[in-house]
Amino acid sequence: MKNMRRWISVCLAALAAVLLASCGGHENPKNLLPVEQEKKQVVNLFSPMEKSDPNAENVARTAADLTVAMAEEKLGVSVNYWTYTAEDYQDKTYDEVVLDRARNNMDDLYLLNPDVILTLGAEGKLMDLSGLDSAKNLRDIISTANTVDGKLVAIPQEVVAYGLFVNADLFKKYDLSLPNTPEEFLECCRVFQENGIKTPIGANRWWLETFAFAIAYADLYNGGNTKAEIAALNSGETRYSDYMRPGFSFLQTLIDKGYIDTEKALVSEAIEGERADFLAGKTPIVMAYWGAANTETAYGKTDFEMQVIGFPSSRGQMPVMPMTGWAVGAQAAHAEDAMQVMDVILSDEALQLFSETNRVISPSKNVKVDCVPALQPLNDRIEEGVYVLGSNAGMSVEQWGNTCLIVRRLLEGASVDECMAAFDELQEAALSRS
Amino acid sequence: MKGTGNKNGKQRGLFLLISIILIFCVFGTVILSVSHKISREMSESAIQNLSESLDLIQSTIEAILRSEAEFQDLIAQEIARVDDPEEYIRVYQRNQTMSKMSLILSGKTEGLSNTGERFTEEGLDFSAGGTVIGMQVSQSYVNYMGTWSYTIKCPVERDGQEIGTLYAEYIYDAIDRSLPEEFYNRQALLYIMDAASQRFVLKPKGMGQRTAGHLNLTDFYRANSIQDPEIQAEVADSLSTGRNVLFYHDIRGINALNYMWSVNNGTIYLVGYVPVEAIQQEGRTVNQNIAIVVFSMLVAFFLCILLYYVNWRQQDKLRREREAERKVHSQQLAAALRAAQIASESKTTFLSNMSHDIRTPMNAVLGFTTLLARDAENPAKVREYTRKITASGQHLLSLINDILDVSKIESGKVALNLEQFALSDVVASADAIIQPMAKAKKQEFHLEVTGIRHEYLVGDETRINQILINLLSNAVKYTPEGGHIWLRLIGLKQRSSQYEHIRVEVEDDGYGMTPEYLETIFDAFTRAENSTTNKVQGTGLGMAITKSIVELMGGTIEVFSEVDKGSLFRVDLELRVLESAADLQFWKQRDISRILAVGGGPESRENMLALMRDTGVQLDTASDAAEALERIDSESFQLVLLDWEDCGLQAVKNLREKLPKAVPLLLLSEFDAEGMEEALQFSRTDALTKPFFVSALRTKIEELWNERESKPEQERDFALRGMRFLAAEDNEINAEILTELLELEGASCEIAANGLLAVERFQRSLPGEFDAILMDVQMPVMNGHEAARAIRALDQEDAGRIPIIAMTANAFAEDEKAALAAGMDAHVPKPLNMELLKKVIRQRIRRREEP
Repeated sequence: MKNMRRWISVCLAALAAVLLASCGGHENPKNLLPVEQEKKQVVNLFSPMEKSDPNAENVARTAADLTVAMAEEKLGVSVNYWTYTAEDYQDKTYDEVVLDRARNNMDDLYLLNPDVILTLGAEGKLMDLSGLDSAKNLRDIISTANTVDGKLVAIPQEVVAYGLFVNADLFKKYDLSLPNTPEEFLECCRVFQENGIKTPIGANRWWLETFAFAIAYADLYNGGNTKAEIAALNSGETRYSDYMRPGFSFLQTLIDKGYIDTEKALVSEAIEGERADFLAGKTPIVMAYWGAANTETAYGKTDFEMQVIGFPSSRGQMPVMPMTGWAVGAQAAHAEDAMQVMDVILSDEALQLFSETNRVISPSKNVKVDCVPALQPLNDRIEEGVYVLGSNAGMSVEQWGNTCLIVRRLLEGASVDECMAAFDELQEAALSRS
Repeated sequence: MKGTGNKNGKQRGLFLLISIILIFCVFGTVILSVSHKISREMSESAIQNLSESLDLIQSTIEAILRSEAEFQDLIAQEIARVDDPEEYIRVYQRNQTMSKMSLILSGKTEGLSNTGERFTEEGLDFSAGGTVIGMQVSQSYVNYMGTWSYTIKCPVERDGQEIGTLYAEYIYDAIDRSLPEEFYNRQALLYIMDAASQRFVLKPKGMGQRTAGHLNLTDFYRANSIQDPEIQAEVADSLSTGRNVLFYHDIRGINALNYMWSVNNGTIYLVGYVPVEAIQQEGRTVNQNIAIVVFSMLVAFFLCILLYYVNWRQQDKLRREREAERKVHSQQLAAALRAAQIASESKTTFLSNMSHDIRTPMNAVLGFTTLLARDAENPAKVREYTRKITASGQHLLSLINDILDVSKIESGKVALNLEQFALSDVVASADAIIQPMAKAKKQEFHLEVTGIRHEYLVGDETRINQILINLLSNAVKYTPEGGHIWLRLIGLKQRSSQYEHIRVEVEDDGYGMTPEYLETIFDAFTRAENSTTNKVQGTGLGMAITKSIVELMGGTIEVFSEVDKGSLFRVDLELRVLESAADLQFWKQRDISRILAVGGGPESRENMLALMRDTGVQLDTASDAAEALERIDSESFQLVLLDWEDCGLQAVKNLREKLPKAVPLLLLSEFDAEGMEEALQFSRTDALTKPFFVSALRTKIEELWNERESKPEQERDFALRGMRFLAAEDNEINAEILTELLELEGASCEIAANGLLAVERFQRSLPGEFDAILMDVQMPVMNGHEAARAIRALDQEDAGRIPIIAMTANAFAEDEKAALAAGMDAHVPKPLNMELLKKVIRQRIRRREEP
């Protein structure tokens, strides 16, 4: 009884407290609107967006977002995202749009492909980033590949390495070892085709050029005479077409033997076109970038044993590494803020976060992350220092974009000679510019 | 009756339950309908709210388009006015609104732009037929700046004649600048879609977080799982006719309003969704508040029910407790009534018994007095009659004593008179009383003492005696001739060194008792009734008195009995041990340090050893006379104890011969040992009655050492001859009897009628005129106690010394105490027993004579 009384008194006391609290109010200010917060500085960022699987967050995108969020928090700026995605091959490409936008100073920060870096760098549309603190941590190869006319014009958040993604189970099934040379590769394709796999290579309109790069520049980048050979190309002493011819001939062979479905490749976007067949085990070979092995929306989860190896070349399996990168418009409206954002998103801390999230190779020499087992063969080659650059700002002719377009011509039916002529044309134009 | 009550209770419970359920149903229905109504209204409100927001955006965009078109019209008019329209275009600066301006003169397919490039209509698609204030608007496209844009074309007319067409390109970013910073707190999503191509051309900033599905309408459908064909068809139909569409569809599990909102007659559309929660933020708060209120009410309701239930439980508990109490009370009352009835019956039976028992001796007294009157001349008959009258009177007295004792015990007025006593005295007294009784009935009475460590104890000796006598006299009574009776005193294990734990067992092989009788044996006013025991006279109070006394002493009494086999009464008592420091002195004074005990069996010797342990005397034992003789040769003893029954006359002879003359030889023997006369002829040889007690031994040693054998003889001769007493007695008959009795003894007596007169008479007396004062207690004017105090207080030579002896019918221990406290010397109960009176007077006078 005594307990109950105590309990009731406690309840009544609580009720009284609640009533008092609810009756007491805050004084209303005369102006009913809240005091406006100071407007944040805005940085406009232009980048492509994935469209392969809209229901899943794109991993690379998320990792970049994390670093951008880090910058927003640290600097108190607001980063606005702008984007463009081509609806189909008839639309303007992202690269074309980003060129237009950068030339018209539409945005502050850009995510650029290697060819665009070189183009815009050469046009003087990009800021020199060598003064950033974060630039001091970069691997030498990164600085080299992104320096145009002595200016560091772009810095990547990851070192993109392209390789062949192969269905190791199918190779074992047909008693095939993973190919090192173009000849071995052709032999594998032959065996696959004989065993009912009509097109052993899944291709899209973007990445077939990687075969050409591996064959063309295996010796140039790994022969110990890189600088001299590039100098010879820039001076016109040697021709790009001489380097490119074996690679294009190799592609021609693949096309001729039906190892590639050219029609499908011409209208296929990256990964989207070939992914389904590869995952279903119908296509034993596709080409993709490092991050695709970590991404479930790409090839992160397969029912078979997947291996990522380098492209066939005279020097064995060869990773191809083009350099995408973040750049700041030279006449950007918010150039100063954009530079600060760059310094944060490319800091070791941000790159560590990025690399851990995506499990990719970091451009900073201070950041190291383990890779998934499937990537081990590719990683081993890179660690050995054996690779081919897909883009090199030091070359007078932009490589990544131009080669892609010329490969498309090959797919469309142009001969190897015609393609080589196109390279010669580009070289001439470059020589005349200089 | 009970069944009906339960049924009613169940029905009431069911009714209550149904009522509560009904209340809840009504309450739930009301809440449900209110919540439905609120939901409906909120939904309507949400649709209206969103429509208004979209209308606002639509109006803004249309206003922008209109102002762009109007501005372009003004430019066209200005161009019409200039001489060189192309020059006008060439120098026109690009601005934030218009990213490119171009002109194609009439009749030409190519013109120029303000960017300096040649311009054709190629790449611009006006086929969708969109217009702004009558001017054609192209489909959206990505312009040279890499951003989505549209072109409006407007004719340039001079004097009513079209001289060319002005194309102005506008970027969607300009619209973005005019739209609000936030759209539903950035939770909603908005795209601007080109209706003809269904491409998403702008996601204005502040219009929600960008998610997947930003490419075109199909992409939007796919990303947001809008796969319902009906919705898609509805949307397609609306797009073709320029109508607005609004529908509910969950976006990633969140209920959202999806919209396709026509702008500029359907050339562009606002596409997106708003989570309903974002629109109904206040609605959600209202709902939450309603929920809180409902929840609080429910809590309050259940709290009330709980409180009511707790209260009801407590009331119920109290009620049940009261009922239980009442039940117990009525049971107690019934039991008390039953007990009272039984007591009443018992008392009735008792009264009838007593009436019989009292009338019988009374009849004898009266009868014999009649006979006495008739045969007064015949001395032989007179003696015979007076003897019988005395016997009857004594029986009557014992009856009255028992009745008084019981009533006293029952009323709790009994107090124990704790004094030191020797166990041997108790045993001797019981032996002395019971032995003759047993002998008279030809029964054998055995006395055994084992394991007793202390025989000087503190307790009420009289009451302990009473216990023993009651039990033993019962045993004698209820055992036929030739039977056996045993009294055993057993020393049990001490629970405290200060207390002797004694078990008294009285056993017989008599009639025994039925189990029924055993249950009531200790109740007052009962007596075993059967043909055999009817012959036995008694009050039936003995056992009740015994039990009460035992319990008063903190002891227990048990009885075991079987009909025709006998009974066993077992009394356990704990009596405080008396410190016997003086004991050691006794033996030292007489130089006794070693005693030899001969024969008697090991158990008996063990007992003796135990009893002698604290005396400081070494007790040696010899199992037989031969061993004793050997030991006497080599060792010296101050005393030898010999078991008469075990060793016999020859052993006495042999020992006596060997023993030095000064060493006494005591023969331990039974009460009625035979053939000892010859043995007792030897010098310093005497008998000691079994069982062995140190106190008895001490008394015997005192006698032997002091040789006071003649004293009893002197006592026997003591008489009251020549003595003079002052007696205070208010009852004339008693006074006369006293006078007569004292005169019979050769003494004289002066009677005072009350205490005051007695005091005054004593005051007037000469010193030594009276030998003693006999004081009745209950008297008028001044009672005996006051009188005694007054006498003692007198300033008279012998006032403090003269023996004052109380004579009272108040025969209890406390009466004696009160008498002594009043300054009297002794207490003699009425009716007067001359032998007792003589003994008391003798003691008092002797004490007075001693220095």
